[in-house]
Amino acid sequence: MSTQGTSIPRRLLLGSTAAAAAGGLLTGFGAGTLRSAQATTQIPASELGYRSFYGQYQSGIIDAQQEHAVFIGWDMRWREGSKDQSKKQQVQALLQMISDDAARLMSGRGVLADTEPEMAQPPSELTLTVGLGQSLLDVIGQGTVGSMPAFANDELEKQYQQSDLLIQFCSQDPTVLHHAVRAVSKNLRQLTTQRFVQTGFMRPMPGADTFRNLFGQVDGVNNPADQAREQAVFGEGGWIANGTTLALRRFEMDLDRWDEVDVTGRDFALGRRQSDGSPLSGTSVNDPVDLTAENELGLPSIAANAHVALAKPSHGGETIHRRGYNFDDGQHAGLLFASFQSDPRSSFIPVQHRLAAADALNTWLKPVGSALYAILPGVDEGGYLGQQLFS
Amino acid sequence: MTALVLGFGLLLTGCAQSAPATEQSTTSATSTTAQQGTQAQALTTSDTWAKAAETGMSAAFGKLHNSADYPVELHQVTDAQGDEIQLHEMAGSGQDMSMKQIEGDLVIAPGAEVELAPGGNHLMFMDLKEPLVAAQTITLNLEFSDGSSTTVDFPIRNFDGAKEKYDEHAGH
Ligand code: HEM
Ligand SMILES: [Cu+2]
Repeated sequence: MSTQGTSIPRRLLLGSTAAAAAGGLLTGFGAGTLRSAQATTQIPASELGYRSFYGQYQSGIIDAQQEHAVFIGWDMRWREGSKDQSKKQQVQALLQMISDDAARLMSGRGVLADTEPEMAQPPSELTLTVGLGQSLLDVIGQGTVGSMPAFANDELEKQYQQSDLLIQFCSQDPTVLHHAVRAVSKNLRQLTTQRFVQTGFMRPMPGADTFRNLFGQVDGVNNPADQAREQAVFGEGGWIANGTTLALRRFEMDLDRWDEVDVTGRDFALGRRQSDGSPLSGTSVNDPVDLTAENELGLPSIAANAHVALAKPSHGGETIHRRGYNFDDGQHAGLLFASFQSDPRSSFIPVQHRLAAADALNTWLKPVGSALYAILPGVDEGGYLGQQLFS
Repeated sequence: MTALVLGFGLLLTGCAQSAPATEQSTTSATSTTAQQGTQAQALTTSDTWAKAAETGMSAAFGKLHNSADYPVELHQVTDAQGDEIQLHEMAGSGQDMSMKQIEGDLVIAPGAEVELAPGGNHLMFMDLKEPLVAAQTITLNLEFSDGSSTTVDFPIRNFDGAKEKYDEHAGH
């Protein structure tokens, strides 16, 4: 390097004036700031679609469900010859990177080294929600989520089983979602191998937290709301304060054989009417699922093996919050079942055992994927996901 | 080309969610060597990152902002592993660009910001002594013409671009 002051060094002088002069592309650094300031004063943040990365809990859990989702599972690729301590550091660095990525993407900015940062705008309620399998909790040396047990009727395919790391990406805009997925996936290359990418979609029914699943049923009616939801997801019995767990199951639907079933048979299997989602024990969608109600013949209105009869929590502690998505991967269609609950051992797992053993809907369902994740607590500004586990 | 590179710096927007502290803008306030009124003191940085590489060459990027009313002249960059790190600029146009060492210091005018970006000015690792591993962070020591210096963290990221040709004979 030539030393300063010898001959006349051609100094590289770049600044806002130089930048403005350099082309009609921009008019100085102030312009960008002005534009964004205007945008935020004119349109409320909610309409611009920002969900906060920072907070007590991660976003994408008890907040309103976005229409598009991608769940990606990755397995770690440890650096050659890694000892335990080094593996722990690799997980920590990875979580720091993902936190940075999520904070940037959710605020509508590209990640570091992003080749298409423009695509992050507007984020359209983008959320990234990060979970770890028991394998990574073991590497870190803290926390217990356990693993998903086997259920009757499971026909699991290897690629849809437990991964070390999981990120749930959700947004209202599939293009924004695609960019976020790609940006994070590029950053994870070499550090991980991808186990699965599971894409889903749903459309909330007008004014409700429900959607039509691919059987045509109204799904989500008896999901817990408000405080009951927060209690079910973040209440006592959790693996860590402000964290939760995600049960992720992939159910293929046999839609050709479902076509053969008339609407009475369909309603009988679910215990609710396909037409408007009302329970067979009532007349409108928000009527209670009453397992003691009887029909004109003196038989239970809702059969004992109907889906809602078996799924209904037998006590408050069994309550789960479902946030699943429809999927159609071109070969198979079905439900990407996703539920959040503080303690899966006393909620999701017993309920799933009941359903696996007897649910009338099983005839048309094939469970091909199954995994359980420890969802990390929310992050304060300046922190990173999972920080509590490393102190 | 310069305009394009600088344009990258304008992709800021909307809601002010900053990045986690580990990768936040490093300011000279964190530096022990920075003193009031020094060039190190005047420098603030953001969006700094370095390209992951096992061996050979690599590069580091980011935004360097001069918050003072005097110029900041970046004179030299070093790291703890003793890599040779040069200040590079791009020459040529279109597909036929190559990089060369900047003659003299990289000068940031008072109140101005310089963007180091793929396809533009960058800090160049000439021959890595240790790999730059994605997701980890390398700390660079930035030394200025007034003798002040400051350290800045550069998170390491995978990046397929920044494959610029190096013109060995230019700029030396
Ligand atoms: C492809 C598989 C599944 C389909 C198509 C399905 C569909 C439905 C539908 C349409 C309802 C009624 C509306 C509602 O209250 O949301 C419902 C209720 C419910 N489902 Fe599922 N479900 C599936 C799997 C599961 C699994 C695996 C679980 C848990 C292990 C589960 C737990 C529940 C619960 C807790 C309710 C609410 C019961 C109540 O309290 O009324 N479902 N499901
Ligand atoms: Cu170079």
